[in-house]
Amino acid sequence: MNKKSYLALLGVFFLLAFKLSENPKITVYLIGDSTLSIKEKKNYPETGWGMPFTQFFDENVNIDNRAMNGRSTRSFIEEKRWEPVVSSLKKGDYVFVQFGHNDEISTKKTYTTPKEFKANLLKYIKETRAKKAIPILLTPVARRKFDAEGKVVDTHQEYAQLVREVAGKNKVLLIDLSAKSIELLQSLGVEKSKYLFNHLEAGQNPNYPDGKIDDTHFNELGARLMAQLVLTEIKTLNLTLANYIVKPAEPKK
Amino acid sequence: MKIRYSFIVLIVCLFAFKPADEKVTIWLVGDSTIAEKLITRYPETGWGMAFQNYFDLSKVTIENRAKNGRSTKTFLAEGSWLPIQQNLKAGDYVLIQFGHNDEGKGERYKDRSTTPDEFKINLVKYIDETKSKNAIPVLITPVSRRYFDKDGNIKQTHEFYSDVVRGLAKSQQVILIDLDEMSRKLYQKYGSENSKLLFLDIAPNQHPNYPNGVTDGTHFNEYGARLIAELVLNEIKAQKLPLSKFIVNSN
Repeated sequence: MNKKSYLALLGVFFLLAFKLSENPKITVYLIGDSTLSIKEKKNYPETGWGMPFTQFFDENVNIDNRAMNGRSTRSFIEEKRWEPVVSSLKKGDYVFVQFGHNDEISTKKTYTTPKEFKANLLKYIKETRAKKAIPILLTPVARRKFDAEGKVVDTHQEYAQLVREVAGKNKVLLIDLSAKSIELLQSLGVEKSKYLFNHLEAGQNPNYPDGKIDDTHFNELGARLMAQLVLTEIKTLNLTLANYIVKPAEPKK
Repeated sequence: MKIRYSFIVLIVCLFAFKPADEKVTIWLVGDSTIAEKLITRYPETGWGMAFQNYFDLSKVTIENRAKNGRSTKTFLAEGSWLPIQQNLKAGDYVLIQFGHNDEGKGERYKDRSTTPDEFKINLVKYIDETKSKNAIPVLITPVSRRYFDKDGNIKQTHEFYSDVVRGLAKSQQVILIDLDEMSRKLYQKYGSENSKLLFLDIAPNQHPNYPNGVTDGTHFNEYGARLIAELVLNEIKAQKLPLSKFIVNSN
């Protein structure tokens, strides 16, 4: 090999190295609890809304779902689940933050006082912004709870309001998933809304031989409908991310 | 180095002599109601996709070979059956569910439709070739479409072709899963309106794959596919097929 071709080869290698190191993809980190997390197969059909959400975006977007069952704003930080997110954040990335279910229950280990909850959300916001990434706050998705008159009971009232306050005060984009999901459950009503949650009769599903009545966690249908609500808000907020929503395949004959 | 070399040779030899994979394979043969879907078609889901989530895959292999739009005739003619037949091992299962495209009428189905007689002859071919490999055929009547009359009663949508399947199961002594019947009962339980939740039925501007919306009373969404898979799984258990031991939590 002569010197010229050797140099040319070296040049090609450099270009390749450059190409590989620059990552054009936007990463969307999802942080939160069981209502959005990825489920193990043995817990199917329980489904977090982050699972179908992944399917809504094209190859320019990487959805990195870091949400974990049972976590609050506090335990997510304490378990050092936030640190690796911060260190991998790059300019233009998004961090979707949805907590509340495990923060608001005073008997839970993960309980977070309203003051701590706000401080933790603020930490997520500041550290995201420090990396020139974009924080998005989401109010906690609704539980299926109806009163005697068939009206949805807002089980996250206090903590959802805290999220709204933090978003308003710090000019953070807000997706009011709590309100949107309450609207959806209300439109379906007491009976039909069951079909969105992990409700299983005994002997119906091999993973739940004794059956299950869960009004907090979604099945595959509920998870997808919640993900669709989030998607609609992404379009309404006109996020850059909306440019990378998948385009439909050619219409079926 | 020499020792290490002979050691590697030994390992390679051991691998070469390792008996072929003895795991039972469950082959799914049929149409779009079972088939794997492209992500661009989600949330359309074939029941085969949900079905495989409930098996212990360390003990059994699921091969979902069902394809959109296929009838007993086109599945054979295009060569989709041949590689299955060639790879069948003794003790494997072949779950066969056709009908939607066999019974189709009009121009769109011209290339694939079969008469009930042809349908029967084709099914016998699948059965015989499965049995000749000491594998076990399972006939499944075509899963029902969502079709209610004005009074909210579910209607039969596969009458003749389901009957052919039932008759054959009897005359050929083949295991039968009457999914047509079971699925109609399921839709009836949900009722005319709520049963839409099981199908690819999406309003405009809700799902990026279907910006104009879609109304489909034949193809399932992820929820319907799972409910249908549960019917099949529970029937496998109810009939105490040896296959049930591969279903998770079955002991």
